[in-house]
Amino acid sequence: MKVKVNGIELELAPGTSAIDAVFAAGSDVPYFCSHEYMSPVGSCRMCLAKIGAPRKDRATGNWVLDEETGEPQIFWFPNPMATCTTAIMEGMVIETEAEEAVKAQRGMVEMTLINHPLDCPICDKGGACELQDRAYEYGEGISRFEFDKRHQEKHHQLSELITLDRERCIHCKRCIRFFEEVPGDEVLDFIERGGHTYIATVEEGLESNFTGNITDLCPVGALLDRTSRFKGRNWEYEHTITSSLDDASGSAIVLDSRTGRLERIKAELNTQVNKLWIDDSTRFGYEYVNSSERIKTPLIRKGDNLEAASWQEVSEFIADKLAKLAQKEAAIVLRADSTLEEGYAAKNLAKILETGQIDHYPRQLASVIPNNSASLNDLASSDAIFVIGDVSQNVPIVDLRIKDALKGVAPPEMFEHGVPIADLRLKERMIRKKEILTVAAPYNVDLMRHAGQAHIYEANSEEAIFKALTKIANGEDSSVAAMSNEQAEALVKRLNEANNAIIIYDGFSLASPAAAIAARNFANAVGAKEIILGQMANSYGLEAIQVLPSHERYGYAEIMQGSAKALIISELNPANNSQYAQNLKELELLVVHSIFENETTALADVVLPAKSGYEKQGTIVNLEGRLLEVNAAPIDAGQAQDFEFLAASIIAALGKEGKEDLASLAHKAIRKQFGVDSKKLDPEGDLKPLKPRANNKAKLHIQSTNIGNALIVPTMLRLEYIDKNPHLLAERGAAKLTMNSIDADANGLKNAEIVSLDVAGIKRSFSVQIKDSVPAGLWLIPALPEQAIGLLELDRASLKKELEPA
Amino acid sequence: MDNITSRHDPRFEVTMYKYMGVENSHKLDFYEQHGGYQTAKKALTTMQSVDIVNEVKASGLRGRGGAGFPMGVKWSFMPPVDGRQRFIVCNADESEPGSTKDRFVLEDDPHQLIEGMIIAGYAIQATLGVIYIRGEYHLGYTRLYDAINEARAKGYLGKNVLASNFDFDLILHRGAGAYICGEESALMNSFEGYRANPRLKPPFPAQAGVYGFPTSVNNVTSIASGVHIIAKGADWFKSMGTQDSSGFHHVQISGPAVRRGVYEVPMGITYREIIFDLAGGVTEPVKAFIPGGSSCPMFPFTDEYLDLTMEYGVVAKAGSMMGTGGIILIPEDKCIVDALANVVHFYAHESCGKCTPCREGVSTWLPKMYAKLLAGLGESGDLELLEDVSHNIRGRSFCPLADACIMPVQASIKHFRHEYEYIIEHGKSMYAKKSRWQE
Repeated sequence: MKVKVNGIELELAPGTSAIDAVFAAGSDVPYFCSHEYMSPVGSCRMCLAKIGAPRKDRATGNWVLDEETGEPQIFWFPNPMATCTTAIMEGMVIETEAEEAVKAQRGMVEMTLINHPLDCPICDKGGACELQDRAYEYGEGISRFEFDKRHQEKHHQLSELITLDRERCIHCKRCIRFFEEVPGDEVLDFIERGGHTYIATVEEGLESNFTGNITDLCPVGALLDRTSRFKGRNWEYEHTITSSLDDASGSAIVLDSRTGRLERIKAELNTQVNKLWIDDSTRFGYEYVNSSERIKTPLIRKGDNLEAASWQEVSEFIADKLAKLAQKEAAIVLRADSTLEEGYAAKNLAKILETGQIDHYPRQLASVIPNNSASLNDLASSDAIFVIGDVSQNVPIVDLRIKDALKGVAPPEMFEHGVPIADLRLKERMIRKKEILTVAAPYNVDLMRHAGQAHIYEANSEEAIFKALTKIANGEDSSVAAMSNEQAEALVKRLNEANNAIIIYDGFSLASPAAAIAARNFANAVGAKEIILGQMANSYGLEAIQVLPSHERYGYAEIMQGSAKALIISELNPANNSQYAQNLKELELLVVHSIFENETTALADVVLPAKSGYEKQGTIVNLEGRLLEVNAAPIDAGQAQDFEFLAASIIAALGKEGKEDLASLAHKAIRKQFGVDSKKLDPEGDLKPLKPRANNKAKLHIQSTNIGNALIVPTMLRLEYIDKNPHLLAERGAAKLTMNSIDADANGLKNAEIVSLDVAGIKRSFSVQIKDSVPAGLWLIPALPEQAIGLLELDRASLKKELEPA
Repeated sequence: MDNITSRHDPRFEVTMYKYMGVENSHKLDFYEQHGGYQTAKKALTTMQSVDIVNEVKASGLRGRGGAGFPMGVKWSFMPPVDGRQRFIVCNADESEPGSTKDRFVLEDDPHQLIEGMIIAGYAIQATLGVIYIRGEYHLGYTRLYDAINEARAKGYLGKNVLASNFDFDLILHRGAGAYICGEESALMNSFEGYRANPRLKPPFPAQAGVYGFPTSVNNVTSIASGVHIIAKGADWFKSMGTQDSSGFHHVQISGPAVRRGVYEVPMGITYREIIFDLAGGVTEPVKAFIPGGSSCPMFPFTDEYLDLTMEYGVVAKAGSMMGTGGIILIPEDKCIVDALANVVHFYAHESCGKCTPCREGVSTWLPKMYAKLLAGLGESGDLELLEDVSHNIRGRSFCPLADACIMPVQASIKHFRHEYEYIIEHGKSMYAKKSRWQE
């Protein structure tokens, strides 16, 4: 469609909004209520322009042409129009700089400001405020409003994480629309009306996993992040764009740091991955990096004490010890959110030490690399989705992208100015196509609220379910646990007939290789693509580059059970397991690379300060197989280093340095394996899905328990850091032990009671949460990095009450 | 409306208001005895739905809620029947100051509305009707509630209405006291249990109305007019009124008139006839009249305007609107600034707060400006500021509520600028007298 904006002719797709036409023409118009990926509502009335369209002859329907110029006569709409809610039409003329448009915009800025307090000097949004910018650009500079401004609550705590200043609110409704439209959690709304209108939550507060996004959306300083409140001015922050290591999505984030401290995390646009949204764990779970308890220098054991030393000194000490070992006696274990570069460094070190005892953890028996991988944008336009597991806790962004699909609106085409500012296909309170989503899990998961079909099955029956569904897909008779025959047949039919069917599964299925194979076979049978939710940020990448044991005798569990004489372990705390702790004491050398002191550093011969995920430079591969850049923010972490530096120091001390340093080796290896230059990655990442490893050398001999009375379940929160994230802890509380009221009554437990429990060797403390949606007899325990998802047999006699609930 | 002495122009046969004020007129027995539900029976058993739509179209009936959109045309916007639920909604949220015409139908002749809803429902093939009634209309609510139950018990509502193949039932929903619910999309939001904010159009209700289903929203007297149009034919209806505005309408006169009340009159009657013949003239000198409810710009009480005929086109051309036909007389000694402060206060209180010009302009700034003027604190420049702010609000808001406030303000400045100038210059009103409600 041809339109003319301020004299510039443009050819745009039908359905484009006038505001996008304005920006596409390189012009500008102010707006507060419109927002990328949300419905245009036309409530702020800022984006007004003079709009006209060719006059049509009533009889012929043809344009009436001007007799002199031959150009179509323009019928101007009698009032300035809100460009965000106006769809373009053939021949439309849009004037944003016409006198009446400018007057309308100025008048609207003035009215927007009459009740907005002039407290910019103490506002956290100052310097990064849409209202401030627009008032400068489009305002008169002077207010004619001489009366008292509206007085409302200035410090209304919406939650432990978010504060609301009701005076600053300009009622754009972005936050309210966000909750309804994006996660589908309707927790905010306007109360009162007219000039008294304010925002408030439902009685339960902000019950959503994505609350922090409203602090990004807010065009003014009304909704603010409490973790960063009064910590700095926007122009003082160093902004580092990076990929989050919080979960397997690799969501784009911005790290705002100042004077060596990380003060805030905001979402960054990645149109392929997280769009503009991140979950609350990704946003608020960073405070631990500023903790004074961090290990800042290398430490070496002198008798009973660990004493500060230099990297040089400890590297030499380690090298001395390692040099005395025979082949296959040393072991290296990385955490599954280490970068590819760290993974290659570990592999190179293992090669030099001539050992196959190398692994990453948490990791399950089956591969996290799908055979026929779907991207997250594929997911957002899918027409049949079968989820087995708990997506919302595993990788919350996948939960959001599923909800995109339920709206039936495919990811938008990009303009030169980016994501459409007003995508007219999006509406408030759209009717969701729930029928395309089926969710099954061993307990009630959040996503079930949005599903057409939801099934709670007996834990560990994933294999049976996939096999039975495959039979149905192949036309054989079969019955599926927890589903009626009609439901199972309807599910198979829907997946079969869909153009873009996707099956999503997680650690519950990966815990047993047979279940994972059954899942893959079912996906093949119905022609569906797969998304597999790895437990950590680089689970995909570390498996892809084979940071894996050379033999099933050398996996993580075997190493912890004494298969090695020396262990170099990064960012894991196996000694929280009392049995492993005994084995670790027997080691000739225990090198622990860690951010904080813990049970394992207490046993270590050498402790090396580790970098957090916000301080590392490197590359990860997310669950789609997308290579993403990880960038370091300038955070003061003392002498902390990543594993690549650690490996290089040891290699140097061993005198085994090659011609090339580890960094260039990793760079070459990535190019060879993935076919991309890791130094020139696309800002949105490079999608290079691989095939799953054909021959799994790491077939471990751990018995996956087929029976059990407790399930280790995924959690969005990183429990290893939660006690050092005070705001997140205050909002979310300590780790929960969730059970049915029958079990609670049998054990005399009350809601919120604090208990301790031996979880397969790890003594853990929980707050009891009673939920009757959990099957009786099954206790749910949130995962730790040292404890992969799956079923286990719990010694319930170890349960001790620590504290009565307040 | 304490002394209704005449309900219609005696030169014409009264139709809709025939039984107003008659004892037991709200009962089903009474309605049946006076030919009730015979028109619905005729429509459902002898006519196709498209015939009804065409008949209403041919009658030229324009929506009586205020906007004046032809009802038959609105009905013809309904998409083809596709198996989805369809709704006919009756807007009985009569809240416009000066308007009371719906109230008498709701209280004294509810079966007439029910019959109209059955016919309208059949016309657009909607099997569910919603009557959204103003919360303050308690008597109207209870009578309509009882009437619906009576009708349902008699088979006028429910399965196979009047032994036809058409199913139809009614939902009676009470408002919670918001003027904005008179706006059709806010009404639908309110009915669905959401905040009463107007919705973005398009989509119009015919495409996506109540719960996203095809819907037509019509005023009480528009729907009730349908009964008489089907009963007596479009030609009968067109025999009244003019080419532009056919049929009869109900004017409601308040203010210092001899006989305040509601009058059923043919369109095309002059305001002079209404005020002086039907209402018996004025009880004290009058300086202005509002032709259609508080949101319509006022006219000076002069021959030029009194001789205007009551037609949508004529009134619009003269700079105001037909509105609901609620004529308000403004006495000579009533300070216009004070009068407008009252109007502004009403709209300020009723603004839903969705859009900036209405929330900040109408609901915040204007009442403060008027309060300043009335307190005698006006300064030079205040009138120009009031005019400029009004200009910045008008035509820029999301829905017409802000305009409904601004247009009377602008008209008052246009016609009575000297009163504004006086109050600014002298710090007090030209007229000392307070309104009765203020005393």
